[in-house]
Amino acid sequence: MNPMKIVVCVKQVPDTTEVQVDPQTGTLIRAGVPSILNPYDHFAVEKALELKAEHGAEVSVLTMGPPQAQAVLRLALALGADRAMLLSDRLFAGSDTWATSYALGRAIRKLGRTDLILCGQQAIDGDTAQVGPGIAQNLRIPQITFCDQVEIEDRQLKARHHIDDGHEIVQARLPVLCTMTPPQDYRPRHPSFPRVVQAMGKVLETWTALEIGAEPGMIGLKGSPTQVDRVYAPPQKEKGVVFTGTAAELAGRILDILQKENFLTP
Amino acid sequence: MLDSLRDYAKRRLPYEELRRLDRENEFPADVLKELYDPEILGIHLLLIPQEYGGLGGSTFDIYRVCEALAHIDLGVATSVFATFLGSDPIRVGGTEEQRRFWLGKIAKERLLAAYGATEPDAGSDLVALSTRAAHVVKNGKIAGYRITGNKQWISNGGVADLAVILALAPGGPSWFVVEKGTEGFSANAHEDKHGIRLSNTCALALDDVFVPAENLIGGVEGQGLSQAQAVFGYTRLMVAAFGLGAGWEALETAIRYSRQRIQSGGPLSQKQGYMLKLIVPHAARLEAARAFIEDTAHRLDAGKHGLQTEGSIAKLAATEAGNRAAEDAIQALGGYGYTKDFPVEKIKRDVKITCIYEGTSEMMEMTVCRGRWQEHLKSRGTYYEEQAAALDRLHASCPTVGADSAALALRALNKILEECRLQRLTRHQHVTMRLGEYIAQAETCAAFCRAASADHYSETVRFDAQTWQALCRIHARETAADICLKGAKLVLGAGAMNPGFADALGLGAILAKQAGALEDQELAMKKLAESFRSR
Repeated sequence: MNPMKIVVCVKQVPDTTEVQVDPQTGTLIRAGVPSILNPYDHFAVEKALELKAEHGAEVSVLTMGPPQAQAVLRLALALGADRAMLLSDRLFAGSDTWATSYALGRAIRKLGRTDLILCGQQAIDGDTAQVGPGIAQNLRIPQITFCDQVEIEDRQLKARHHIDDGHEIVQARLPVLCTMTPPQDYRPRHPSFPRVVQAMGKVLETWTALEIGAEPGMIGLKGSPTQVDRVYAPPQKEKGVVFTGTAAELAGRILDILQKENFLTP
Repeated sequence: MLDSLRDYAKRRLPYEELRRLDRENEFPADVLKELYDPEILGIHLLLIPQEYGGLGGSTFDIYRVCEALAHIDLGVATSVFATFLGSDPIRVGGTEEQRRFWLGKIAKERLLAAYGATEPDAGSDLVALSTRAAHVVKNGKIAGYRITGNKQWISNGGVADLAVILALAPGGPSWFVVEKGTEGFSANAHEDKHGIRLSNTCALALDDVFVPAENLIGGVEGQGLSQAQAVFGYTRLMVAAFGLGAGWEALETAIRYSRQRIQSGGPLSQKQGYMLKLIVPHAARLEAARAFIEDTAHRLDAGKHGLQTEGSIAKLAATEAGNRAAEDAIQALGGYGYTKDFPVEKIKRDVKITCIYEGTSEMMEMTVCRGRWQEHLKSRGTYYEEQAAALDRLHASCPTVGADSAALALRALNKILEECRLQRLTRHQHVTMRLGEYIAQAETCAAFCRAASADHYSETVRFDAQTWQALCRIHARETAADICLKGAKLVLGAGAMNPGFADALGLGAILAKQAGALEDQELAMKKLAESFRSR
């Protein structure tokens, strides 16, 4: 049987632990801030490599961005990925999550048969969590979001999908797309010096819009239905009050408050 | 790579752990093992050429790793560095077979090495060497050597798997490889040091230790001192990077603290008196040293050999700047700085060693003066004049880096050197050493101007052009005034006042260039505070 083919979609992001917000404009001050591989994507790359170690697979990493985004692909190669592709073209500039999903979907199609696509749950700069699901939609394949575990047996994928108050175990037949959620204490693993040097020797492919057969009207600003109107930090939620006591005491307290705040008509 | 190193340090060497190792004077053997593990980091491979199983890092790569290591801990940095130093005589002076065997072994078996040159009575002055290597003759041929003597202050001495030992053979000073466990070869107790306490430092005793003839590095006796000299340009650059990294670590801590600490209604980072005294001048000196280190690293990587004078200038400038920065970082943190709860106290103790090992600052001053004095004589006094003219041209094309002040500094230096020649003042050791200091400061200043006027900065520069150029102007002004005033004092103190000397120093022009100094310092103060936010 042919080895499984896994594609991991990654993004280069500013290290938000170092980023400051301009209080006047509400935008990030990016000058001098180091760029990193989005930590959720880093986790997705590590998961793909674990699956490769277990089942044998060809792991490709894919990103869209300016030429400097090569750095995150080099990191993924050093961690053990087999192939790396950069979608870089002026025509992609200004793409929103929809146009980005479309472009990444086109690139994955170009790669041919793909069994599993992994993405981080979201990027730490935009925090939309939309690109992964968008790719699945573009490729018309099932998706499981917010997974912290994935297992594969007999071309059947079983994932642990986070929900607000617990988790669900979800199964799907390959091909499938999962967005990955690292555990709380996750720390990205970094490659050793020899692996970094080896990765420098690996070929990094750059694809243009034309090469992935992207329609000009579907990418860049033209292909982006979202227009950012304003960016601002949401107002801080006020801290709640916690009461303790017996059920009867608490019911009394709540009643008092409801009356005082005029929620109850007498 | 640096991310991998920093990530490892964050996980494995948080400050509390470093503090414990420092307190207990404990060498973290497991950390060194992990640093050398090719699956975890494999840091030692950077120092070994590719053909012997290493990664063959460039001088620039190694400088960057050294700086990053010093940001983490100078004791760990020293342990890594000692292996590099210990393998150096083999790399530089070994036969092809020796290099293949020993360097291959260090790479593959992740060996720790030690460099055994210093003796109780022979430090900077290696000619006073007293360790002896006597021939062991079998069947009329030299089968090996018996080595007897003592070595002092040997980094990794008690933990190294192999040491290179400098000993006086019948044919002259020579390096020998001595493996751990060889009969008669022993290490004394780990020294109780002021700083870098987790780095293992021991005296070594060699009592009639037999090594086979093939352990004589290079296979020919008498090459030892030239083999030792050949790498100083390179190794001193690494210690310079240590001073730079440790100095910046201390300064960054102080800057982050200054943003949080409120005094009289505002953070210290907005107090001019505090920042302009304790922070800004150090940032300028450290960045000037960085520019010089990088310039030298690029030249070595381009195939330039030797560069002992440049290595010494880099070491003198960076380690003294790092030491002074750490000293003021304690002051900047006030009472907190004086406690062990904050890292600056430890950095200050650690960084002091960089002014001592691999040649003390005073030896650097002498080496720098010796090297450049020759250039001054050979060029009949045009050596620095030509460099000043180049800075004038730089100023014409890029007037924002203070190259005009730097040119004045070099011209003043040139006059001082010439006056010392005319009055034969270099017969005074004090004069030669002070000249060494001025030369290092002037050349560092010129390198900073060149780097700050470049279209693109090295990726190591963490500031925008406006900030870096302001720091460069601050450094250039300070250098011009220092050299002119201190140099004049030096010459007049040692010799006579020749007519025209004082005027030739250009004091008036140098003082005129001080205009705008406060404005630049205030700009640098604001930018530095913005660059390092509180953690």
